[in-house]
Amino acid sequence: MTASGSGQAPPPKKVIPDPVFNEKNGRLLKDTRYWPTEVWANPWASPAYRRGAMLLIGIIGAIFATGWMIGELAPLGDTLYQLIASVASAGGLPQTATEATWIMIKALIILHVVLINGLWAVWWERKISAHIQSRVGPTYAGGFHGWAQTILDGIKLLLKEDITPAVADKWVHALAPAIVVVPVIIAFAPVSFGSQLAAADIDVGVLYIFAFAGISVIGVVMGGWASGNKYSLLGGLRATAQLVSYELPRGFSVVPVIMFSGSLDLSVIAHAQAGYWLGFIPKWFIFYPLVGQLAFIIFLIASVAETNRTPFDIPEAESELVSGFHTEYSGMKWSMFFLTEYGYVLLACFLLATFFLGGGAAPLPGLEIIPSWIWMLGKAMAMMFVFLWVRWTFPRFRADQLMDFNWKFLLPWSFANIAFAAAALLYLS
Amino acid sequence: MTRTSPLAGVKTDTLFVNLGPQHPSTHGVLRVGLTIDGEVITKAVPDIGYLHRGTSKLAEVRGYHHCVVLTDRWDYVSAMPNNLVFCLAAEKLMGLKIPPRAKALRVLMCELNRIASHLLFFGTYGIDLGAFTPFLYAFREREMVLDLFEMCCGARLTYNYIRLGGVMVDVGDNWIAKTKEFIEYFKPRLDEYDTLLTYNPIFMVRTREVGKIAAEVAVNWGLSGPNLRGSGVNYDVRKADPYCGYEQYDFEVPLGKSGSCWDRYFCRVSEMRQSVRLCEQVLATLPPGEFMAMGVAKVPKPAAGEAYAHVEGARGDLGIYLVSDGQASPYRMHVRAPSFINLAILQEMLVGNKVSDVIAILGSIDIVLGEVDR
Amino acid sequence: MTQEELLSRLSAQLPQLEKSAVGVKDYVTMRLKSASDLPVVAEILKNELGFDYFEIVSATDWLGPVKPEGYIRNPNPNVFLPEGATPQNMPGATPGVHYRPVFELLWVLANIKEKIRVFLRLEIPRDNAEAPSLTGLFKAADWQEREVFDLMGIRFAGHPNLIKILTPDFTVGHPLRKDYVHVKDKYDED
Repeated sequence: MTASGSGQAPPPKKVIPDPVFNEKNGRLLKDTRYWPTEVWANPWASPAYRRGAMLLIGIIGAIFATGWMIGELAPLGDTLYQLIASVASAGGLPQTATEATWIMIKALIILHVVLINGLWAVWWERKISAHIQSRVGPTYAGGFHGWAQTILDGIKLLLKEDITPAVADKWVHALAPAIVVVPVIIAFAPVSFGSQLAAADIDVGVLYIFAFAGISVIGVVMGGWASGNKYSLLGGLRATAQLVSYELPRGFSVVPVIMFSGSLDLSVIAHAQAGYWLGFIPKWFIFYPLVGQLAFIIFLIASVAETNRTPFDIPEAESELVSGFHTEYSGMKWSMFFLTEYGYVLLACFLLATFFLGGGAAPLPGLEIIPSWIWMLGKAMAMMFVFLWVRWTFPRFRADQLMDFNWKFLLPWSFANIAFAAAALLYLS
Repeated sequence: MTRTSPLAGVKTDTLFVNLGPQHPSTHGVLRVGLTIDGEVITKAVPDIGYLHRGTSKLAEVRGYHHCVVLTDRWDYVSAMPNNLVFCLAAEKLMGLKIPPRAKALRVLMCELNRIASHLLFFGTYGIDLGAFTPFLYAFREREMVLDLFEMCCGARLTYNYIRLGGVMVDVGDNWIAKTKEFIEYFKPRLDEYDTLLTYNPIFMVRTREVGKIAAEVAVNWGLSGPNLRGSGVNYDVRKADPYCGYEQYDFEVPLGKSGSCWDRYFCRVSEMRQSVRLCEQVLATLPPGEFMAMGVAKVPKPAAGEAYAHVEGARGDLGIYLVSDGQASPYRMHVRAPSFINLAILQEMLVGNKVSDVIAILGSIDIVLGEVDR
Repeated sequence: MTQEELLSRLSAQLPQLEKSAVGVKDYVTMRLKSASDLPVVAEILKNELGFDYFEIVSATDWLGPVKPEGYIRNPNPNVFLPEGATPQNMPGATPGVHYRPVFELLWVLANIKEKIRVFLRLEIPRDNAEAPSLTGLFKAADWQEREVFDLMGIRFAGHPNLIKILTPDFTVGHPLRKDYVHVKDKYDED
């Protein structure tokens, strides 16, 4: 501690402006209010913004560094499998026991991907939407930028009363959230999270995912019908029409990708995009001229529609149908619907990354030292940011306009895209 | 060749949906009984009165100064024109001469309040159509206007600022500087709104062909304000029947073309630009002098007579008919509430539209239930 | 069109109207000689003189000052007066004002293009008060006439849907009548 009088000047006291009186009336005019008009005009002039940007760069760098230190996850998985096999053989158990345990572990991991994604995506959506809307979002819970907000929200939702309306069809009402949430967990099975990182290597992985993702709409309709609420009913009906329609361009937009890679297996599709043109342009499908971009845009739009998010959120249109099909749900049943929504967002993001952004491939040569699962996750999160960005920027379509957009724009162009791809393949061969 | 519908013979039924009184998009306690066939509306019955507080009756036992307080509660989103219209009518009865500074301040406050009110419309209309972000942008700026009002008169919603004979308090130099800062800040924001919502393709496709009102229909239904001007009828009380010296300021009346939701919306956004122009002119030419007329009685008892005054409020032609019988309270007060009269067209407009369009049309009419029910 | 021109045109074209003795300040005020003339006059005003904008319909009950005891707990809103002080603005009859059992109806029609408006007034007896409806000519009259009916109890003959609009269904009487006494309902305290 330095002695007093060492010559160090104390920090200047913050000057609070005096309240100003209106001389004519002797009235206190409260005009000490501070409008950050200069900050809004040029945010980068403020030190807080620069500090935040540095922090963000630091976080991203730390993630890359961690990934580099851990390395690829597939060898770790192999080690774990060997360990289980050795334990099993030491205990004299048959080979099927090892396989069963291994499948259980993989299923648990997939389940937790969906669950933890719910926590993360809700927090991230709140933060992103807040910053898009010149707010700050959650700040208090947990301390650092409100990281614990969704965990506490989850606890709150668990403790909330579970209300079933008197006029509801009780069984269907209770069954609907389950039917909605189960397919999304199952659909994650063939998703490859990096090289050799898929819970199940299915030859028809793309078909499998689309098939299971289509089941959730049944739960939505059930929930809308069983609630005994007219708004819910309208929401459920709208959901059927919308989801069934958008399945088509979503599926057809991937056909060029399948044609180029020659497989329905997600790992094979990702591998087909390895390598670089001219040594630095990655051979991702999004960089295939015209065909790739068109397919990417159609798949992105259809995915946003499939996940019932804003330009296409007519089934739960808040300002029209109150909350649509989940108006009458509360507590954990309600959060099941949200878990599903975010699960599908994550699924769509992984699919976008796999189909169009090269899966776990590094964007530039020389960056392969960072493992594939980091790249995969990074690409998926970038796509998720696009989802949130779209969600908080656009107004909502009307139901019939949404159908027009699908049948008169997306679907013809996805067919045309298949033709373009076929022409390109013919020309190349 | 007549084509038979694939649904021929299928027994269908209409559905009655109660839109309101508790609904996110009715902007208050409006109830619309909708009979829908699928998604198409076959009958719409607006039901109002949930917020009726009987201000005309209350005015009959209150003094003229007290009545100004009642007016704040009609259109609580833009209360300054409400104060103004009552004061204008009462001043006509009393024969008061208003000092020029008070007139200029009244114009300034009404225009600032028009900006605040249209910002609220802009934000909530975005929410009605599913765009949540413009709402918070609009509220950021609206807060600044409300801050200005708070600095000036201490209230943020129910101002009671315009009084019989002038205004409550004078504004200081500091306030004028802050207002100028706000105007400079606000002008580029209007362009931001245009990129954010006005010319958004989805927004245009939702509103351009929806809720069209022809000019004759709009006049016949007695619409006023941006709802009438959106149909291309040039009727603005500020120009047609000037008050408070509006004739000395240079501003335009924005007009729509087809009377669709988008035209009404665009009229309001353009009106904000004109209001900014007006504010700048008033601030540049703010005359010195008194802010309150001399000789306003504590308990005014105007001579028996009748007066009608009307102003261009944020929602339209806000009029007041005041009868005095020489007592300390008005003998009769009748309010021509623009929201009330604009809302009446809803029953005719909604039929044949989709459920989603109900929200778009209702939002574009821009009602405040406090004024509808009074 | 100035007010003088309007007055001369009205007196030339519409003999059913006469200049009102007590006018609304700053505006042309005409008196209808009988209630049955109203639709004819309004039609001529709308179609021939261009008064196509229906601004208001209002009514005044000239029975005499209101008695606040019936519906208002504290007739003196000045909270700074001591307990038991005489209320400042208790309504009372003013000598010289002609109180009489009539309703005075007021219509305001505006000509948007010429920027002028005309005020039409009509006295009708208080018992069984009835006036012709203008809904056929002006849709704007629909809800405004319902409002006058609801609050004043004046029936508009020919209105297609003359039902209450502002007050609740259980309200008895018409609140803006000067002799209105509030009947207790389920929402009243004590």
